[in-house]
Amino acid sequence: MPEGSTSGFLRRREKVNIYKIIDKLFLYLIRFVSMISVLLLVFIVIFILKESLLTFEEVSFYDFVFKKGWRPISENPELGILPMILSTLYVSILALGIALPLGVGSSIFLSCMVNEKNRNFIKPIIDLMAGIPSVVYGFMGLLLIVKFFERKLSFSSGESILAASILLAIMILPYIISTCDESMIKILKKYESTSKALGVSKYHMIRYLILPTAKKGILASVVLGLSRGMGETMAVMMVIGNSPLYPKLFGKGQTIPGLIALEMGGASVNSIHYHALFASGLILMMMLMIINVLFYFIRKMMGTVSEE
Amino acid sequence: MKHLSIKLWSIISISLVMIIISCIFGFLFIHGYEGISYEFFIKEPNGMPLGSEGGVYNAIIGSICFTGIATIFSFVFALSIATYLVFYEKNEKIKSFIRFIIGIIAGVPSIVLGLFGYSFLVVYLKIGISILTGGIVLGIMIFPFMEIRFEKTLLEVDINLIYASLSMGVNRTYTFFKIILPICYKDMIRATCLSASFAMGATAPILLTGAVYYADIPNSIFSPAMALPLHLYLLISEGISLKNAYATALVLIVLLLLINSIPTVLDMIGGNKIVRFIKRRKS
Repeated sequence: MPEGSTSGFLRRREKVNIYKIIDKLFLYLIRFVSMISVLLLVFIVIFILKESLLTFEEVSFYDFVFKKGWRPISENPELGILPMILSTLYVSILALGIALPLGVGSSIFLSCMVNEKNRNFIKPIIDLMAGIPSVVYGFMGLLLIVKFFERKLSFSSGESILAASILLAIMILPYIISTCDESMIKILKKYESTSKALGVSKYHMIRYLILPTAKKGILASVVLGLSRGMGETMAVMMVIGNSPLYPKLFGKGQTIPGLIALEMGGASVNSIHYHALFASGLILMMMLMIINVLFYFIRKMMGTVSEE
Repeated sequence: MKHLSIKLWSIISISLVMIIISCIFGFLFIHGYEGISYEFFIKEPNGMPLGSEGGVYNAIIGSICFTGIATIFSFVFALSIATYLVFYEKNEKIKSFIRFIIGIIAGVPSIVLGLFGYSFLVVYLKIGISILTGGIVLGIMIFPFMEIRFEKTLLEVDINLIYASLSMGVNRTYTFFKIILPICYKDMIRATCLSASFAMGATAPILLTGAVYYADIPNSIFSPAMALPLHLYLLISEGISLKNAYATALVLIVLLLLINSIPTVLDMIGGNKIVRFIKRRKS
């Protein structure tokens, strides 16, 4: 800011002009950098689309998605990723089924049943869980869950869909808890005094006010958990066994991210194998998008009671 | 009866969650502690097969390099795009288009980003497997998260402060650097540290773009490096050394905790004058 300018009107005008130029330069700089980054992002999307659409010149989209058999390097390559698609869905939905009741219960506890001091102690610990890298989760899964299945339940191989689901459930728990907790806190702040004034007991309030009103928050956490779970690579890959079979609860399986991660290094560029890997990535993204759109409509259909 | 079941449900679930957490951390700390010594930090991986002896010095340095490049790359872009969206762009259509694209990138699984990095940066642009490519891919991965956080903090700035500043004849750039940034910078540092820790723990994006089985300490950004998560993965999947795997996992977790504690430490050291002033006025 120009200050203490005693040398007259003209000098001051010059200074103002310099500041205007700086302003302009800053605007151009920011606009330039932003444009570059947007272009980069658009380019990534186009690149992935282009590389994967080349697959469908060799195999039809229907065969790719709905056929079994993955022999990408043989003479007559077979490319069908139905088992992988089903395993991906199976693992993440089962994981969600395990994690959702735990998550919603914990967030009720966190939002309504503890005082501020204990909450400030528990919440960071749960947030800490979200920070553990997936490799470490996979490591723990291999040592605790898989070993437990093999030793205690005497499975021939502990690496199974169930092990992956349990591990994935633990991984998505912090996300579910924090999303549900956030919306429950909002509702509680809005209605707590009214509810108390009416003499309603705490658990009645939780059952008939907070749980129904937090529906949208719970739904959002479902979407978040599903998309986290379906895109998860390393942890699932380490405990699922990686064989392209139709998923069974105690059998081995392979998810799409695991497929890409395992075969990415072996596929030579521009071969059919390489394009097929891109295409399976695209299928995964499409599945995520479909789920998002589906839940968007469910959310719209659900009543007008909002949490805000 | 109903009330009791809700009470039971929530108490059982929170205690299960706490048991799981303490299991994970307890297991890691107890077993990892045995493998950690001073040598583990300063020695290179050794032995046959590689990694069964020695330490993880190279991997620690490599991981820090990857995270540094990713954070710088993504910070520059995220800050500029957030500022542009909040303070400069007035066209709603362009705004929603940019947000839409960022949303798409946020939804791309990290392994697909790794695939993109491998085929475009490594193969087509011929940069090769290097810290630069790995860092860029990690940067793309954490970019949406950072951008959304930055935008949120910028939007939370009291608009009246900006109006007051502008009506005093202060120009926009000065307002941005002297009024808006001092208010936001703590939240920004927090978001940056959080995304840096995501980048450090991620394995899938650097699997084929930057990290390798063994490398010396990198001497330029075009040389490949080791990374802690990949080193850990190899130690387990090849069954090389369980003891070293525990220790590596513990080192990784401790590094992440250190990164996450940076904002708290900065908070303790001291605040900013303007922020303190505004907070005092509010209270």
